[in-house]
Amino acid sequence: MTDHPIPENNDDLLAAEYVMGLLERPDWQAAHQRAAVDGAFAARVRAWEAHLSPMNDNYGTEPLPADGWAKVAARIAPTAPKPSRRRWWAGLATGTATVAALVVALAFVPVNRPAPLTGLQAELTTPDAALVVRARFDPTAGQVVLALNGPDAGAGLDYELWVIDGDTAPRALGVLKGPMSTITADLRAGQTLAITLEPAGGSPTGAPTGPLVAAADLTAS
Amino acid sequence: MTQAPNDTATALLQIVAKGDRSAFAQLYNLAGPKLLAICVRMLSDRVEAEDALQDVMVKVWHNATSFDPDRGNAMSWLCAVTRNHCLDRLRARRPARMTVARDKDGADPLDSIADTRPSAEAQVMARGDMARVIACMGELPPDRARMVQGAYLQGLSYQDLAERADVPLNTMRTWLRRALITLRECLDR
Repeated sequence: MTDHPIPENNDDLLAAEYVMGLLERPDWQAAHQRAAVDGAFAARVRAWEAHLSPMNDNYGTEPLPADGWAKVAARIAPTAPKPSRRRWWAGLATGTATVAALVVALAFVPVNRPAPLTGLQAELTTPDAALVVRARFDPTAGQVVLALNGPDAGAGLDYELWVIDGDTAPRALGVLKGPMSTITADLRAGQTLAITLEPAGGSPTGAPTGPLVAAADLTAS
Repeated sequence: MTQAPNDTATALLQIVAKGDRSAFAQLYNLAGPKLLAICVRMLSDRVEAEDALQDVMVKVWHNATSFDPDRGNAMSWLCAVTRNHCLDRLRARRPARMTVARDKDGADPLDSIADTRPSAEAQVMARGDMARVIACMGELPPDRARMVQGAYLQGLSYQDLAERADVPLNTMRTWLRRALITLRECLDR
């Protein structure tokens, strides 16, 4: 084999190392997270998965356990209907002007149709573009990764992330922690992500109490 | 031909994406044996492997819509989801050192991985990318090709490989990276 120089910071090599499984946990997780937020890197990962997939033939097969399907089926049983969520403006009818502004802003966010996709993204930007939050949702990991670029929420305050599905009430997903946050979530295209300014730790009521900072629709990445 | 199970899996997965449980049961029966074999090989523990397969199938059920048939076949996608799940479990075991997975006869499976040079049959049956990858694996020195395969199949990290080959970590990293670069260059040709 020729002596290839080993380039540093080679994304394609990193993608190969990630797919191979050569990395230890911190690096593996970092690459996993990057694949969720970085479309170009995710494409390299997919390419290597395809390149290396012929080796999957070497795994052979194993007989399934007799109760295997029953156990899987039990875990995907249709869930009981959730307690009906308030129509999302119902609890806000007596709210402040800032909350009313939130209602108006969110009402005019266009809604996309759900579509098959490999991942979702949204870019939430304040009108003056002082704050930009890029959200990438990885359906495989069930996590949304948020890269925040802009000022802190301020002392005693946090940015809180919400998801809004049609005309249902905003559902709290969690508060953003620093410039890079990972929040467990189950998201679909066409839903809207919104960020409000809330007391530290997030809204105490479960509904937005602070001003809307930014909102954007989730689209396929 | 060899593509038939793939095509069936791809068709099933697209129906599963619409929430069809009976298609999902069929997909489980079709792909499950392969996916369980991946779990057993990577986790070296039959009980944990069966548990992992359940987790994988639940993930597949919830994320079937994220499969894009334009980007590959369903079996490759399912295998990738399974390998990622097992890698996550493997890496979570650290720092407890992994026990070296042994074959039933106690041999290190790295020593017995089949030669990667394409068989006549594989050359005839493999198509497109598949044939190229197999041919490119055949361009690697046999010991490096075995290392690549062993690392891939068992989810061995650089550190695992270095310990098993009793070479410094950086040496192992350099060997593997060169092998991967060679592989990529061959694929790019």
